[in-house]
Amino acid sequence: MVDHLPNLGREAEMLQAMGLSSMDDLFSDIPNSIKRVDPLDLPLPQTEEEIWADAQRLLSVNVPINSRPNFLGAGLYENFVPSMVAAMATRGEFLTAYTPYQPEVSQGMLQALWEFQTMISELVALPISNVSMYDASTAAAEALTCAIRVHNRKAEQKNVVYVTKWLPEQRLSVMQNYTAGGDIEIKTLDWNDEGMIDLVAAEAASGSCAVYVEQPNPFGIIDENIPKLKQIIGDNCALIVGVNATSLGLIEAPGNWGADIVVGEGQAFGIGATAGGPLYGLFACTEKYLRQMPGRIVGKTIDDKGNDAFTLTLSTREQHIRRHKATSNICSNETLIALMGGMHMALLGPTGLERLALRNAAACQVARKGVLSLEGVELVFSNSSSYNEFTVVLPGSAKSALSYLDSIGVTGGLALEDTTLQASEKWLHITTTDQTTEDDVNALVDGLNSWISSFVTGVES
Amino acid sequence: MSDIFAFNGATNSGYAQPAALLGDAEAAEGIPLSMRRAALPQWPRASEPELVRHFTWLSRRNFGIDTGFYPLGSCTMKHNPRVNEKIVQLAGINDLHPLAPESHLQGLMSIFYEMQEMLAHCAGMDEVTLQPVAGAQGEFAAIRCIQEYHRSNGEDNRDKVIVPDSAHGTNPASAAMCGYEIIEIPSGEDGRLDIEAIRAVVGDDTAAMMVTNPSTLGVFEPEIAEASEIVHAAGGQMYYDGANFNAILGKTSPGLMGFDAVHYNLHKTFSQPHGGGGPGSGPIGVKSHLAQYLPKPVVDRTEKEDGLDGWKYFWRVPINSIGKVQQWHGNAGAVVRSWAFYRRYGRELEKMSEHAVLNANYLRHRILNPSAEVIAKIPAMPVDGAPAEIVKHEFTLSMSPFKDATGVTGKDVAKRLLDYGYMAPTLYFPMIVPECLMIEPTETESKEVLDKFAEDFLNILTEDPELVKNAPHSTDVGRVDEVWAARNLVLRHPLGN
Repeated sequence: MVDHLPNLGREAEMLQAMGLSSMDDLFSDIPNSIKRVDPLDLPLPQTEEEIWADAQRLLSVNVPINSRPNFLGAGLYENFVPSMVAAMATRGEFLTAYTPYQPEVSQGMLQALWEFQTMISELVALPISNVSMYDASTAAAEALTCAIRVHNRKAEQKNVVYVTKWLPEQRLSVMQNYTAGGDIEIKTLDWNDEGMIDLVAAEAASGSCAVYVEQPNPFGIIDENIPKLKQIIGDNCALIVGVNATSLGLIEAPGNWGADIVVGEGQAFGIGATAGGPLYGLFACTEKYLRQMPGRIVGKTIDDKGNDAFTLTLSTREQHIRRHKATSNICSNETLIALMGGMHMALLGPTGLERLALRNAAACQVARKGVLSLEGVELVFSNSSSYNEFTVVLPGSAKSALSYLDSIGVTGGLALEDTTLQASEKWLHITTTDQTTEDDVNALVDGLNSWISSFVTGVES
Repeated sequence: MSDIFAFNGATNSGYAQPAALLGDAEAAEGIPLSMRRAALPQWPRASEPELVRHFTWLSRRNFGIDTGFYPLGSCTMKHNPRVNEKIVQLAGINDLHPLAPESHLQGLMSIFYEMQEMLAHCAGMDEVTLQPVAGAQGEFAAIRCIQEYHRSNGEDNRDKVIVPDSAHGTNPASAAMCGYEIIEIPSGEDGRLDIEAIRAVVGDDTAAMMVTNPSTLGVFEPEIAEASEIVHAAGGQMYYDGANFNAILGKTSPGLMGFDAVHYNLHKTFSQPHGGGGPGSGPIGVKSHLAQYLPKPVVDRTEKEDGLDGWKYFWRVPINSIGKVQQWHGNAGAVVRSWAFYRRYGRELEKMSEHAVLNANYLRHRILNPSAEVIAKIPAMPVDGAPAEIVKHEFTLSMSPFKDATGVTGKDVAKRLLDYGYMAPTLYFPMIVPECLMIEPTETESKEVLDKFAEDFLNILTEDPELVKNAPHSTDVGRVDEVWAARNLVLRHPLGN
């Protein structure tokens, strides 16, 4: 017996009012030749109590990252979201609203998103932010196509963009899909021996439409060459910077060193890693890109009496107006998660952000020092700086190390060979966050030490 | 007005944090001096008590399904069961990492697998991926699969996608993002697919045709099977926009209609809350000939005695996968909510569609067939957007006759409905219906709500036109000036500057 259908048992009354006699009459417009003959072959309906019990049973089989020492991150971070966030965001007026197409009854969400835009604008030091993309990768991909729309006409290298050499394979794959329709060529920006962008090689990007880099880069290295890129590539090429959001509590905002578009994963503010979604992609830019940018934007305005009000604006870029000429097909985005991010950011405030970044930085230093104290373990790029993550070369296969660590209850990080381009099987990517404790680090270091010992003596587990 | 940037309750931070593992100076040593941030962002300086009151105040200035009737056509604004929210707060979903070993994700993967199977079954498709995170991304991913399918058959020349003029804007936008030329075909005079118009444009350059059925007018396309035959005969693929899937579960399926690929909107049919504009989830289902191109990975399973309920779940990469459209495995949280929703109906999902269609037809009947006494007071009755005896889960009204008689537009009527405590219907879409209001009540509204809405709607048509033209009158703000917003572009708080 299903619930949540208020008119169950009242069908006859309602049908009669319409002059119909059966529920089948409501489907008489479907030709018999394409009607489903058999009923759906699905399980019996369940009650709320049964669903809750089964959800708990199935989800408790999973191993949450915060249930044990965890060093897996690589773009999604173990975090702690203050309790206020879910309590406020699950208020039905926010949770069950559609896109605020009727501003007169949507001022709450519109204002909250305008506040979010302001906080992102402040965070990255660029004047404009939209209300979210799906995730960091789609934000990066749509930043590339946005840059092409703005710069292609004057570009010497038409339809060409450059992206940093070491990228997570998944991100490059998203970029390739999003650029597949535009005959866009994605070229590679080389690194030097210090794990930073090679500025001499970067001169090749001059005359293209965009350069995409990450700061810190995917290995966690803070690249001091990146701020010098804008001067090399010039005004008619977009410098697109992917950021680790919490790092901006310590690292200079990209808008202050030449970035034209900033993208990134907002997840650390607002929501757990949630098995990869829902998250929210950040997208901020200068005025030059405003009319070509993807996604929804809220503007302040007035009502018919001159009072302050908020509304969605610049919709003429969007698919529901512009159809195939739209700047993007994005419609549903990640508004509620952005709202949650805004709540988290507001609660932290400026000094809370700095404190959070310091906690992240401290954990990274401690873990890095511990891991590098091990025999035969070194950084992929020696002497490089790190925030949140670092990549080491192990004396053996990273997968083997992870498998051993997992067996002793430690999630040791990520073996890069399957997920990052051109990575070696010995490269282990280790992520720490503000949630990493001394005990966690000790568990990792001791575990790796045992693995190395067994490895060195040839009794690999 | 509550201004989040005006609070002063937290001179340091509204949220105290545990000590870092190192002192500040030592912690910051990892950051090169040249890259240190000079000035922190001007975020709010507010305490939790102040913020809770601020966001509660904001929430009360926002209208959701929980507030009142939300007849927003094409958006399927059905009740969102609260247990689903409780489930996704569990650490077993909220704190999972998508790249964790498969052994850490078995429970989640079993839910993914069950959803893939359920969605494939309901739509008459062979394989499903849950990766796309919105309907539009599902369209994009599926059209990319179709593109690769044609390429691998050596048919790169297929560079056109056919879209009816009644289609959602995302259809042409998604196909254009894949590089296709869009051929828009006019609907017939009755608002239905025009078979001759299809015949006139299909050819060996046709990659696909994208169709919504029931259409955006809320009517079932009776000639859909023939349309599929025509497109297939020309070598094209048929794409089903699942926005209106809520109308037909258990009654027919895109597979039976001849479609090759479909996207589902879990945030419509399966009750993932809309959240003010997202998150959504837009899985796609395909027939077997397209399965090898699906985004990677999908969940598969093999028997294993000590596995979860006898199964071991694993990620499988389709052999000619287009790769990724989202970085991870899609909006897993939305998938879990939708799983909890589907479990509530199980094999009786058909009842959900029956009641969605019952409610839409009932409300349409109430609005279009009032008593003679009521009709006498109304200057001009609205007319059907598309003539039909029966509609599916939604219907369209053209307010043109009323506008001609009174000068009151569809938008005015929509704004006046806000005064009565309703969300406005979808306005001016589809574009082929003049002065269009599109109304979708969903299955979770009671007969009393529908009766009252019809009564109030008709009452508005008897009101002083000036009152309606200046509506709304009782909302938090009056009619909002969208032109002012676009001209002045105040896109962030000035923060005292």
